[in-house]
Amino acid sequence: MATVDYRQRLKPRFAALGIIVVGILGVLLVRLWTMQVLFGETFAAQAEDNRIHEIPLDAARGRILDRKGRPLVTNRAALAVTVEPGAKDDRPLVDDLSALLGIPADEIEERLSSVREAALKPRVVAVDVPMRVVAYLEENSERFPGVEAAVVAVRDYPGGSTAAHVLGYTGEISERELVQADLTGYRLGDTVGKSGAERQFETVLQGDRGYRRIEVDARGRPKGVIEEIEPVPGRDVRLTIDLDVQEVAEKALADALEEARAQRFPKAKAGAVVAMDVRSGEVLAMASAPTYDPGLFLGGISSREWKRLNDEGSEYPLNNRAIMAAYPPASTFKLVTGAAALDAGIASEWTTYRCSGKWSGMGEQWSKYCWNRSGHGSVSFRRGIQDSCDTVFYEIGYAFYKRGEEEIQEVARRFGYGAPTGVDLPGEVGGRVPDAAWKKKFNENYPEAAVWVPGDTVNMAIGQGDMLATPLQLAVSYAAIANGGEVLRPRVLDAVLDVDGKAALQGERRVERDLKLSRGRIGVLRRGLRDVTTGGTAAAVFRGFGTTVEGKTGTAEVNKKDDYALFVGYAPAENPRYVVAAVVEQGGHGGSVAGPAARSVLGKLLGLSTERVHATDVSR
Amino acid sequence: MRREGIGRIRARANLPLLLVVTGLTVYGTVVVRSATSGMPGADGMIGRHVLGLAIGLVPLLVAWALDYQKLKGWIGPLAVLNALLIISPRIPGLGDTAKGATSWLQVAGFRLFQPSEPAKLITIVIMAAVISGFKGRIEQPRDVLRVLAHLAVPLTLILMQPDLGTGLVFVAITLGMLLVGGLRPRWFLVFALVGVLVTGVVLKAGLLEDYQEDRLLVFVDPARDPLGAGYNLAQSKIAIGSGGISGKGLYSGTQGNLNFLPERHTDFVFAVLGEELGFLGVVGLLALYLGLLVVSLEVATSSRDLFGALIAAGLISMWAFQILENVGMTVGIMPITGIPLPFISFGSSFMVTNLAGTGMLLSVWARRYGA
Repeated sequence: MATVDYRQRLKPRFAALGIIVVGILGVLLVRLWTMQVLFGETFAAQAEDNRIHEIPLDAARGRILDRKGRPLVTNRAALAVTVEPGAKDDRPLVDDLSALLGIPADEIEERLSSVREAALKPRVVAVDVPMRVVAYLEENSERFPGVEAAVVAVRDYPGGSTAAHVLGYTGEISERELVQADLTGYRLGDTVGKSGAERQFETVLQGDRGYRRIEVDARGRPKGVIEEIEPVPGRDVRLTIDLDVQEVAEKALADALEEARAQRFPKAKAGAVVAMDVRSGEVLAMASAPTYDPGLFLGGISSREWKRLNDEGSEYPLNNRAIMAAYPPASTFKLVTGAAALDAGIASEWTTYRCSGKWSGMGEQWSKYCWNRSGHGSVSFRRGIQDSCDTVFYEIGYAFYKRGEEEIQEVARRFGYGAPTGVDLPGEVGGRVPDAAWKKKFNENYPEAAVWVPGDTVNMAIGQGDMLATPLQLAVSYAAIANGGEVLRPRVLDAVLDVDGKAALQGERRVERDLKLSRGRIGVLRRGLRDVTTGGTAAAVFRGFGTTVEGKTGTAEVNKKDDYALFVGYAPAENPRYVVAAVVEQGGHGGSVAGPAARSVLGKLLGLSTERVHATDVSR
Repeated sequence: MRREGIGRIRARANLPLLLVVTGLTVYGTVVVRSATSGMPGADGMIGRHVLGLAIGLVPLLVAWALDYQKLKGWIGPLAVLNALLIISPRIPGLGDTAKGATSWLQVAGFRLFQPSEPAKLITIVIMAAVISGFKGRIEQPRDVLRVLAHLAVPLTLILMQPDLGTGLVFVAITLGMLLVGGLRPRWFLVFALVGVLVTGVVLKAGLLEDYQEDRLLVFVDPARDPLGAGYNLAQSKIAIGSGGISGKGLYSGTQGNLNFLPERHTDFVFAVLGEELGFLGVVGLLALYLGLLVVSLEVATSSRDLFGALIAAGLISMWAFQILENVGMTVGIMPITGIPLPFISFGSSFMVTNLAGTGMLLSVWARRYGA
């Protein structure tokens, strides 16, 4: 039969069709097994990512308060203009915006092409936009596609530039900062503290970001909120800074600069004043000139503005000179040299020296002069401090050189020189205590200048040469004399506050080192310092002050610059509480420029007059 | 031989086939219901799906009752009808264009059906008649050409629509029938070579529109068209993969419900199934398909004549290819072409075709002993 014939003959072909069919289903099965069973979790995660968008909810940044709880930095809502990043290719739009906002077009383009923000996030191009600009934008919205007015939270500085250097400023996190250990978990576009307390206490001020997790469809349209985690606002930080003292310090510094310029020192533009509690190390005021307005950084600083702030011609206003600038301490360092001399037994209170105005102890060809060319005559050690007689300290320096040990350096380091004080602010420099090893390394390529010579020690003895110190180091070292020998770690943190305003974390008094000077020797030094303000180089400054001050003037010679004026002192002498250090770059003499500034600040601290005094000092 | 009552029905009805088809259509209805939920007009859509099933019962019963052998005498008219059907959407006023292809027959704004769907069945019948004429030995090139000539007409017309996916179904049907119909194996090699050559020439010569090329090649290189075909593929894979072993549950698929999946009730319905019912659901479906194809193969081998066996072989080829292509495209191992999943996808034309095909199998089965 034909049918049977076909069937028999075609059987292998049906089998082949069957094998193909089973093969197809098998291939699909294997593929599905790998996708669903082997890699199911990977795909499940992708499906979740698809479905859920996280909208970060920024936490309110903590405030920064002064020691009495007065706000130094708070937050406020500001009207801002945001622009979609794609708009940067729309030249007419950028030009229109430029005209409307009064921002150069390239400035706007720069903001829009910043890679520092999430790719599609609208960029803030201007904050504190006038209401009429917002109204104009809204009326002409079709002319400004992708441009929106928004309310954003920004930092508010009730005091303007007051304490700007201590407070610091905030800005968008940079890519470099993103990898820093204490900033893990931050994202592009986040605001972080860039300097000062804003940077130092960043992790406390920041708070915890919240999230709103929303389910979205394929077009990104929200379908519902899955969960919401409230942001936890940042903690408030209370500083040891006293706003009233700070204001006086800034005013005193500004006055000192003005005074200096009036006194034939026209280049006086920069300086610093620090006030500290000698018993606790709390910094009560820290002023640096020139200053800047942290508000400039709101909504991103323009590159032009940034350039200006980092330019030599503007004297680098962002620098906090109290901790970032190191100056020759000049005669203020005689305290340290004196302490070393007493400690080494080279001098005592009444050891007598002969000052003819010219000192040739190292040989005639190496003669040096006292600031008082006519000579102080016969001076005691104590008198040497009072009148800041260079000859006395040349002698001491030379004696130390001949002893062969670097004893002045050793004592200077005990006082806290040559290393950062450890103050809780970023960017502090350590100054410099020069010694033979340092000189060798520093002049590696100039072997003829690499050898430590007697003049080095002699120069150092009067705080000149290569010796450098920050104003804060000066304050800390004098505080150590004032408090009987404790070298404290200065600090600006009083407390981190809880939501209820209670202190969650308290700044702690910390003794870094002890001067290891006997009470008697400290007493000699203190009497010398007291003589300075009562009958010495700063006598005119503190005349009629109301309480006794112990301190030292200094006038630093700086290569190719006018003299720098310095004063460090503490009061009241009977029971010292506050130390103030003042440095005025190219301001002339310590007694005439820096001293009066210190007097005003001490006056404020002690509840005395803060009146500006005029004094003339020609010492160094 | 005459039988009475239950016995007669049992003899004429292939119960396993009916069970498998019932299982598939029920499964399909459940999945389509889930896939369309949340879409605008969801209730109407599931209604239309069920209506398509009901309408499909008519050709099923007619084909079952009809003696398939009589079709052999109508080859000429069927060939003409076939061509007319496929051309019909081109006739002004009758056609409707969707996704670039003019493949719908539309009257007074009502979409009736896709003529290429019944054309698949008519082509199967024509091919079966032609191939069975060679009595299981297709050896002469002349014979091969005769078969291909009968394929050429409908295939050309389909490709002109243009509907590449459906065209490939016609090719697959013909190849399957030639396999069973006795074509010598060396010819398959020739076909394979020609196929590769033609594909290469078409791609190189840029005969395809960019979007067509993207869809064909995106499974090899998902970056080709990341927002178009590549997006569809990526979302489909995510849906299926994220289903895991037991799935997210019916109506709980996030990919589908949040519109990440394109064409989720038609071409990509398998992705919804994979996401919501997981590997277990997928295995269930493939088991039903295995059942369908094995039962169909049994019908083919038990056919009393080569014509009936070839009809069965054509249906098996059609289903097997559509399963491979549709599931394969959703999991990224086949090009993306708009081919629905047999008995599952939303869409009445194809459902009716599948049910009519089932009727044809039943007809072959019912007459396996007949004279």
